[in-house]
Amino acid sequence: MAYRLEIALKSELFDAEGNGIRQKAKNYFGIDLVSVRCIYTVTIDADLSEDQLRTIQTEIFTNPVTQVSSFDPLDLEFDWTIWVGYRPGVRDNPGSTAVEAVEDILGITFGPGQAIYTSKRYCLKGNGLTEEDMDKIAAELLANDIIQQWKIFPADKWNPAQGTGIIIPKVILDHMPTVSTISVDSDSGLKKISDERGLALNPADIPFIRSYFLDAEVKASRASVDLSDPTDIELEYISQARSDHCNHNTFRGLFRYLDLETGETEVVDNLFKTCIETPTLTLKDKNPWVVSVLWDNAGVGRFDSNHYYVITGETHNSPSNMEAYGGAITGIVGVYRDPLGTGKGSKLVMGSYGYCVGPRDYNGALKPRLHPRRLLDGVIEGVRDGGNKSGIPTTFGQVLFHPGYMGKCLVFVTALGIMPAFIGEEPSETKKTSPGELIIMCGGRVGKDGIHGVTASSETFSEHTPAGHVQIGDPYTQKKMHDFLLEARDQGLIKFITDNGGGGLSSSVGESARFSNGCEVQLEKVPLKYQGLDQWEIWVSESQERMTVAVDPAHLERFMELYTGKLHITYNGRTCAYIDMDFLTSGFPQWEFDAQWQTPERRGLYEPVLKEPRDYETLLKNLLSRPNICSKEWIVRQYDHEVQGSSVIKPLVGADRDVNSDAVVIRPVIDSKKGLVFSQALLPAYSAIDAYHMTSCTIDEAVRRLLAVGASFDHIGGVDNFCWPSIQFHPQDNPDGKFKAAQLVRSCRALRDICLAYAIPLLSGKDSMYVDGHLTGPYGETHKVSALETLQFSATSVIDDVAKCVTMDGKMPGDLVYILGITRNELGGSEYYEHLGYVGRNVPHVFPEEFTDLYRALGHAIDKEQVASVHGIYRGGLGVHLAMVAMGGNLGITVDLGLVPSDPLDRNDIILFSESAGRFIVTIDTENRKIFEEIFKGLPCACIGSVTHESEFIIKGIHGMPLINIPVQELKDAWKKPFGDLI
Amino acid sequence: MNTVRALVLTGYGLNCDNETAYALRLAGFDAHRVHINALIHGSVNLSDFQMMVFGGGFSWGDDHGGGVIQAVRMKTNLGDKILEFIDAGNLIIGICNGFQTLVNLGLLPGFDHDYTRRSVALTFNDCGNFRNDWVTLKVIPESFCIFTHGIDRLELPVRHGEGKFYADPPTIRRLIDDQQVVLRYAMPDGRPADGKFPFNPNGSLYDIAGICDPSGRIFGLMPHPEAFNHWTNHPDWTRIKENNKRRQAKTESDPTVGIQLFKNAVEYIRNGSIK
Repeated sequence: MAYRLEIALKSELFDAEGNGIRQKAKNYFGIDLVSVRCIYTVTIDADLSEDQLRTIQTEIFTNPVTQVSSFDPLDLEFDWTIWVGYRPGVRDNPGSTAVEAVEDILGITFGPGQAIYTSKRYCLKGNGLTEEDMDKIAAELLANDIIQQWKIFPADKWNPAQGTGIIIPKVILDHMPTVSTISVDSDSGLKKISDERGLALNPADIPFIRSYFLDAEVKASRASVDLSDPTDIELEYISQARSDHCNHNTFRGLFRYLDLETGETEVVDNLFKTCIETPTLTLKDKNPWVVSVLWDNAGVGRFDSNHYYVITGETHNSPSNMEAYGGAITGIVGVYRDPLGTGKGSKLVMGSYGYCVGPRDYNGALKPRLHPRRLLDGVIEGVRDGGNKSGIPTTFGQVLFHPGYMGKCLVFVTALGIMPAFIGEEPSETKKTSPGELIIMCGGRVGKDGIHGVTASSETFSEHTPAGHVQIGDPYTQKKMHDFLLEARDQGLIKFITDNGGGGLSSSVGESARFSNGCEVQLEKVPLKYQGLDQWEIWVSESQERMTVAVDPAHLERFMELYTGKLHITYNGRTCAYIDMDFLTSGFPQWEFDAQWQTPERRGLYEPVLKEPRDYETLLKNLLSRPNICSKEWIVRQYDHEVQGSSVIKPLVGADRDVNSDAVVIRPVIDSKKGLVFSQALLPAYSAIDAYHMTSCTIDEAVRRLLAVGASFDHIGGVDNFCWPSIQFHPQDNPDGKFKAAQLVRSCRALRDICLAYAIPLLSGKDSMYVDGHLTGPYGETHKVSALETLQFSATSVIDDVAKCVTMDGKMPGDLVYILGITRNELGGSEYYEHLGYVGRNVPHVFPEEFTDLYRALGHAIDKEQVASVHGIYRGGLGVHLAMVAMGGNLGITVDLGLVPSDPLDRNDIILFSESAGRFIVTIDTENRKIFEEIFKGLPCACIGSVTHESEFIIKGIHGMPLINIPVQELKDAWKKPFGDLI
Repeated sequence: MNTVRALVLTGYGLNCDNETAYALRLAGFDAHRVHINALIHGSVNLSDFQMMVFGGGFSWGDDHGGGVIQAVRMKTNLGDKILEFIDAGNLIIGICNGFQTLVNLGLLPGFDHDYTRRSVALTFNDCGNFRNDWVTLKVIPESFCIFTHGIDRLELPVRHGEGKFYADPPTIRRLIDDQQVVLRYAMPDGRPADGKFPFNPNGSLYDIAGICDPSGRIFGLMPHPEAFNHWTNHPDWTRIKENNKRRQAKTESDPTVGIQLFKNAVEYIRNGSIK
């Protein structure tokens, strides 16, 4: 028997959620709703008595002060009502906590098949609302057909006794789990099966896979366990392990690089080795603070003598592009398992986000699956719930709008953890599995969700991409697992730990078993959400919130025969997979790419013919209002950035606590005065000119952000997250593939050059290729939309005494304003050019040898507490960032552009808006002038004006004429206008 | 000096237990993080403590209302023990999710010594979203809450999506008349926020941010005192520091007003009263 309980706020209470829907319907679709009220529905699929139902109704599901509820449909007024519930098999977090509560209060246990499901009913009122309006609101605001179903009722068709009826989204798989074998008698046959099953096997791999299974010796040993042809589970295992996502075939590929300008050719064998691994290992040898890199789930650096910090960054693009909320929450909760699965396990202390989406107000003809505005709303909320409910502060983030991300959005999630240097006697950063240890899977249960997530993200998104891999993370379950695993770690129980992410058990057990050189897996022991999964589905399912742990068994000898060199999977005693551990590392063919570089000149890029503007005041205000510059406080405030009580420098700073900080600082070891500093940068616009300089400028910005708050220059660790469009040339499907490949090679070269110059080991990194999508146009034609070549760079460092941290806001009237670094004629790819509709050619360059002395001097000045504020000059240039310093302090600023250290430049717009790297704005107490200038002797550093009492922002041009004289508040209004009324 | 023991609940999605225990230690408590199950299964005894802390977090994911399921679990498994704990004259503080739990348990407001009746609620913010921001709080001078003794005004962070204090008008009236309102959201100068966003961040009636029971020993508040455990937690600290430097004044150091709330508790437990 099933029961449906409807719960709503008492009519006298304001329905904030309903009101939000009302506003969005108006703003997004121009649909006028008079009111929206929400009804929460709990459907109980279990046999309970009258009394039991009353008890849970009053004790759990109804707040007597604020709510009313009924097992009959609630009688709320509406013109239309829309019911929205999950599809079968979609994770229903409130449903499962409801079961926990009901079992506890009634002292019962739900039997198999019994469950509680939650859903919602929205009561909408308005004049002249049509069915079309309701379809739009349901499909584009309230629900996503991938995970949800809905029903629409007009008032006159509503049966007050029946209501929505009782809907139970229960998974029923009337299916006997079976292992099927697959013939490998021909390449074409295997290719066909690969396509049918969505295995995405690389054509070049297919002959190699066949030769393995056809090998006489292999055949003999397989016969000993009653296997002949490969089983579906074995091919799934190979497919997962060989996917670009898991194996990074692109970065490990062979690139034939040709510079069409110079005719220079170079064969780059393995970008990962040459540009990431080798430089990082070189730096590791020189820098003892680098503890563990390039092999574990995350990189490890020394925080202090007793603690290590752990960092990694991921993307979750494809799933978020299909189901923004589910994809994003799964992404953030998922990346939090990486530090937890690093070394013997670390406690999560911080997270960050980065979103790249189409224009929020896009009204063009292309039809992305989700409108950028809705997609952004969804990812914001997903990361909010994932981070906040995990009790991990989300302290930093970036949002970037560009039409290129309409094909596929980017969702970056970064996680930092902290762990003791030693667990008992043992170093915490090491771990291995040994023959005889038990493999344990802990956390959530396994269902059909997430199957083929990895392979899907290794393909270009199209309407054929399987939606099966979209799921919803469960931070509550994971938080419980997190607390439990740290207990187990501190009791010395964990020999090895890794997370179940992409590829599920297939990759986590696969990885683990490489240390012990073999494993035996009893698949029937895996806890399932529901029966009827095939063995291969259990093996590759990406159901969330699971870790794989190795522990000492009670009786070691019983397991010693494991030492077989095989991955051995059984189901109820019968073998369904038996593969040599070294097979995957035994020389699969390397991927190959042709890369052809054409210089910007050759591509016809030039500097625009542009005469100086006259109205600098309007220009500056308009730049401050641009989506990629303006205030996004509404996002920051949704994220708990202070939980754990460690906050030192927050994401928003200044007199009104509303201007973005250059970087953030936390005290991860709460009783220590030492701080962990974190920042990120993202400058894809420069890729339109040259991805080499995009990369070097991105790294330089991340570094300057750290330095601006007082971080040590000698302890910087980096994390690279590449998001690139497809680089495999195809005459029709990817005609510019060779150019994009060359951009990738150049980007990696810059990564190598700058990281070596700044001594930044790459503690961790990931690549997500295939950032392309095919969007339908007005005539039913489809357009391939590719993202700009994008690199998110994350940087960490430490500061010995957090009391010496500095913020970017101007502090005191009368303070002097200094510029550090040289302003050059580098408007190429700038926000200013973009605003005027140009790209240009003079992209900013990074000169590490020149910048390094300046950076050290700044560190010295901050350490000697000689500065009142420090702010880097980033996107938008000097004009925009002087405004930030003024807005931060709510104080006036008066400066003279003629005093700005620069190449000979005779134009104010170049000085104001050039985005030259290596620069800072610093304000200091006049008292400190002598010492400060002493520190910067012989370096590009000049006093260009002062902070003032008056609230005016005043800029004098190079030839002495007044350029800008405008109240700071007016600048702030312009900066806040675009998203100011969002909360 | 005799040790004063505080129990900080952990588990099931609670997430402020580490910094809360740390803040309590700074204040002089002997603080212990105790998993809810350890208390339920009896391996830890409530009667061994003088203060019980319901801390912040998302107990059971807040899925059916903030603190609702935690309250159900506590009531079902520990109801009587908690009532004994109160009768024994001990202290209870509920912070954020803990405050939500206290009102769902009925420990607050505790009219007429009935510690089981739900008569007030913390519901969804009027702004419609989770919000993290620092707020100014005015301590009601007449309040006999032992935690806020000697404090007039303070700043603390709020971090919640369900912090709107709601009750029917007579109940609000009674809370005011019986001086059980302890903290009100205020303008920076201390005047009541009068519902104005973001000073009153959630639309709480009468700007109520925290209340106590008639004895003043049970205290619930939405803002997070434990998150102000160090002077560099304050959003203006770099400005304050620079300001002091110019006036050759020494930058204020610990304890913060957040810690002071807990110091008051220690002193009360030690002396059975507060000077």
